[in-house]
Amino acid sequence: MSEQVADAPQDSPRPDDHEAGAGRDPLSMLFQPGAWRLERRLHTRPVYELYATLIALAITAVIIGLLVIIVGVSPLDAFASLYEGAFGNRESALETLVQATPLILTGLCAAIAFRAGVWNIGGQGQFIAGAIGTWWVYDTMPGLPAPVLFVAMFAGAAVFGAVWATVASVLLVRYGTNEILTTVMLNFVIDSGLSWLLSGPWQANDTPYSQTERMVESTFLPRFFDDSRLHLGFALALVMVAVVHFLVRRTTLGFELRAIGVNKQAASYKGVSVGAAIIAVMAISGALAGLAGAGELLGLHHRINFEFGGQAVGFTGIIVALVARLHPAGVIVVAVAFAGLINGATQMQVGTGIPAALVDVIEGVALVLVLLAAVACRYRLRKIAHHHG
Amino acid sequence: MADTDQSGAAAPGENILVAEEVTKVFPGVVANDSVNVAIRRAEIHCLLGENGAGKTTLADILYGVYQPDEGRVLLEGEPLELNSPRDAIEAGIGMVHQHFELVPPMSVIENVVIGTQAKQWLDLTEARRRLEEFFADYDVEIDPDAEVGRLSVGEQQWVEIFKTLYFGVEILILDEPTAVLTPQGIDELFRILRRMRDEGLTIILITHKLKEVMDLSDRVTVLRRGKVVGTVDTADVDQRDLARMMVGREVLMQADKAASNVGEPVLEVEEIHLESDTGRGSLDGLSITVGSGEIVGVAGVSGNGQNALFDAVVGVRHPETGSIRITGQDTTESAPHRIATLGVASVPADRIAQGLMMDFSVKENLVLGNQRERQFSRAGILNRGQIDAFAAESIDTYEIKTPSASQITRTLSGGNLQKIIMARELSGQPQLIVAHQPTRGLDIAATEYVRRRLIQERDRGAGVLLMSEDLDEIFQLSDRIAVIYDGRIVAVTEPDATTLEQIGMHMAGASDTDRGSQ
Ligand SMILES: Nc1ncnc2c1ncn2[C@@H]1O[C@H](COP(=O)(O)OP(=O)(O)OP(=O)(O)O)[C@@H](O)[C@H]1O
Ligand SMILES: [Mg+2]
Repeated sequence: MSEQVADAPQDSPRPDDHEAGAGRDPLSMLFQPGAWRLERRLHTRPVYELYATLIALAITAVIIGLLVIIVGVSPLDAFASLYEGAFGNRESALETLVQATPLILTGLCAAIAFRAGVWNIGGQGQFIAGAIGTWWVYDTMPGLPAPVLFVAMFAGAAVFGAVWATVASVLLVRYGTNEILTTVMLNFVIDSGLSWLLSGPWQANDTPYSQTERMVESTFLPRFFDDSRLHLGFALALVMVAVVHFLVRRTTLGFELRAIGVNKQAASYKGVSVGAAIIAVMAISGALAGLAGAGELLGLHHRINFEFGGQAVGFTGIIVALVARLHPAGVIVVAVAFAGLINGATQMQVGTGIPAALVDVIEGVALVLVLLAAVACRYRLRKIAHHHG
Repeated sequence: MADTDQSGAAAPGENILVAEEVTKVFPGVVANDSVNVAIRRAEIHCLLGENGAGKTTLADILYGVYQPDEGRVLLEGEPLELNSPRDAIEAGIGMVHQHFELVPPMSVIENVVIGTQAKQWLDLTEARRRLEEFFADYDVEIDPDAEVGRLSVGEQQWVEIFKTLYFGVEILILDEPTAVLTPQGIDELFRILRRMRDEGLTIILITHKLKEVMDLSDRVTVLRRGKVVGTVDTADVDQRDLARMMVGREVLMQADKAASNVGEPVLEVEEIHLESDTGRGSLDGLSITVGSGEIVGVAGVSGNGQNALFDAVVGVRHPETGSIRITGQDTTESAPHRIATLGVASVPADRIAQGLMMDFSVKENLVLGNQRERQFSRAGILNRGQIDAFAAESIDTYEIKTPSASQITRTLSGGNLQKIIMARELSGQPQLIVAHQPTRGLDIAATEYVRRRLIQERDRGAGVLLMSEDLDEIFQLSDRIAVIYDGRIVAVTEPDATTLEQIGMHMAGASDTDRGSQ
C-alpha cells in the first residue's frame, strides 16, 4: 500500500477544501439537486451501525411524540410519565428489569437462530415448552434436594424448549419444510397442549380454574432485594448473553453457524455440515426460550395457568433481536428499553389517558426504522464536487 | 524500456476520455492516487496492474459507480459529472463488469432491452430486429430467445457486451473479459473488438494476460498501488517491459518442473453418471484417475461437466452410478465434511458463490473449512492467536492486499479474493487438490507463484486435478492431460505427446454443433 489512511472519514462527506473556501452557501449546496448523493459502501464500522440505530430510535421518539400530540396530550407529559413508570424510581427501575428478564432470553433465542439464517419464529412456543419442562421435573422428581432440583428444573426447561424447536429443524433439514411456517404452527400446538394439561392431568385439585398447584416455596428463585420481585433469573439471563456471545464469536460451532447464515452454498462446499449446524442452532435457540419459561415460572408465577405466556415474550423477543441487530449485548439494552416501555405505558395510561397499547406502535415503528437504518448504513452520503465552469 | 509519455502529452482533440488527478480513498486504502489517464478516440487501451492496483476502481469511476474524492473526468475536453452508471450510459460510456449483471431466467432479448425502454411497454420486435442484425453482423451465434441462465459464460459475456452496445455507447469498458473465455472464445472476442475499434468504438480493457495486451491493444496504462506508472505505446514494449512496470522488478515467466514421480492413486473416479438438476451440468460415465505426485489437467470448454465433476469429488453431489475413491476410501456417498477430513483441498470456479464468505473477515475466510483443525481450535473453541498468526503469514506470503486481517472480505479486489482461497487451500499439506481455474483473475506474479506452489505440492506427493480453460496453464503444469467433453473424458495424453491444436479439436468434440444441446 502506498499510503495508509488509517482514519479516513467516510460517514460524513469530506469537507472539500478548495470549494468550501469559494464562499458557497452550505445550505444552498445541501438543497441543490445532485450536490449530494448516496454511494454504496461495502463495509461499515460497527460504531456507525450503533449511531444509525440510535438515530432511528430518536426518530421513533419524534414520531411517537407527534402521535401523542394528535391524541391531544403534551408529548413532554407523556414521555415524562412513560419515563417515570419505567425508570423513575428504584421500584419501577427494578420492576423494569423483572420484565426484561424473559425478553433478554427470548431475544437471544431469536438472535442466535437469525444469525444462522434460520427463521425461528417459535420462541413463544419454546418458552411455554420450557415452563412445561420445569413443571414436569418438579412434578415427577419431588424427592430431589434443593440445589439439584433447581439444576434439574432449568435443565428440563432447556431440554423441552430445545426439543420443541428441534421438531421444526428436523422437518427443515429432512424435508425442507419452511421453518417459519412450522415454528408458528408449533406455537399453536403447544398452546393447545398446555390447555389440555391445565384442564386435565396437571389441574390443581382445589380450584375450578385451569391451573396447576402453586409450587412449594423452596422452589422459588431467590430474590435480590426485599422490596422487589427481581429474581435470580435476571442474573441467569445476563450469563446467557455472555455465553451466547462467546459461542457465536469464539467457538467452531459459532463460526459455522455464522457461515451458514452468510452463504450456505460455500459453507457446504467447505465441509460445514449445514444440516447439523441448523439442528444445533435451533436446539440452542429453543433452549434459551425454554430457560425464559423456567425463569418466569420459578421467579414470578410459581404456577402455570392459562395466562402464562400471555405477555407474548416470545414474539417480543423477535423484535428485540432485530432491533438489537442480532448482537447479544444489544439484546440486553433493547430488552431493558422495551421492558421499560411496557411498564411505563401503564403509568402513562393512568397519568395521561393514552392507551398502553401505544407500546405496540412504538415497538413497530422502532423496528421499521432500525431496519431502515441498517440499510442506510450500507450507503454513504457524499458531496459531489462541482466543476461547472 | 520505451519512454512513457505522460497522458497530458497526447495531442489535444485526440483524447476522448480523460481522468485528471483522480484520487479515490476507501477506508484504509488509497485505491486511486492522483491518476492521470488519457484515452484516445477509437483505440484499444489496456489497463494493466497487479491485483489491487486500482484498475476496477478507476473503471468504476469512469462509469459513474464511484465519484472521485479528488480530480475529475473529462469527456471530449468537457468536465463530466457522473452520478451513476445511468449518467455514464447517457454520456456514451458503457461497462461490462467482472461479475455479470444479467437476469438468468430472462431471455437474451429481454436482458438486452431491460432499462432501455422509456416507454411503458416493451417494444420487442424492434429490439429483436436490431439484435439479430448485430449478431449476424458480427458472426455471433446466439438465439435472442434463449434463456440467459442456460448460456455458457462466454455467451453470457456477449450478451453483456451487446447489451451495452445497444445503448449506443461510444466507449466500452471491459473488466477482465477473457478470464471466463476459452482460447477460441478469446480469439473471437478479439477479432470483434478489433473490428469495433476500426469502426470507431473506443475500448478500455482490463486484463492480466500480457499476451493479450500485446496482441490487442494500441496503448497500455500501467497502474501500481493506485498510481499510474506510465502510459506506453504497445508497439514500443515487450511483455518483459510491461511486467517490470507492473511489479517494479523482473518477473520469472516460467515455472520449472522436474519429472513427476507418480505413486498410489489418490483419486479414482469410475464411470460416474450425474444428472443435471442444479444447473451445474451432468456427467455421463466419466472416469479419471490422479496419482499422488501427479498433476492431471482437465481441458475442456466450460459447461462440459467440469462443475459436475468438481461437485462429485468434493461430495456436494452424489453420482447415481459409478464410484469415487479418494486415497483408497470409497467416498461415492460421503458428505463434504467427511471428504474434507481425507485431506482434500478444493478451489471452486466461482469464488464468490462457492469459495468465500463475503461478509466474513479476511482472516476468517483464510481458515474457513479448517476451523476444526487442531491448529485453529481446541475442544470447539477457536484459537484466535493461531488464527491471527496464520492470517498474517498468508497475507504476507500471498501478498494479499488488505488494510488488515480483520477487513471485511467483500471490499477486496477480484484477484485478492482468489489469493485468499489459494492461501487457504494450499496450506495444510493436502493429499488431493481439486483446482478449478486456480489462477483466474490473478496477476502475473501471483499466477506464477500459485503455479509454482502447485508443482511444489505435487513434488511433496499430493495429487492435483487441475481444471482450466487456459490451455497454456494446462500444458505448463500437467503431467497428463485429459479432455472433458459432454460429461465424459474423451482423450488422455501427455503434454509432450500432443499439441494445442489436437487438444483444441478434442475439446470441440465430434461436431461443433451439439454443445448447446446438453
Ligand atoms: N468499496 C470498497 N471499499 C473498500 N475498499 C475497496 C473497495 N473497492 C476496492 N477497494 C480496495 O481498493 C483497492 C483497489 O481495488 P480494485 O478493485 O480497483 O483493484 P484491481 O486493480 O481491480 O485488482 P484485481 O486485479 O485484483 O481485480 C484494493 O485494495 C481493494 O481492497
Ligand atoms: Mg478488478
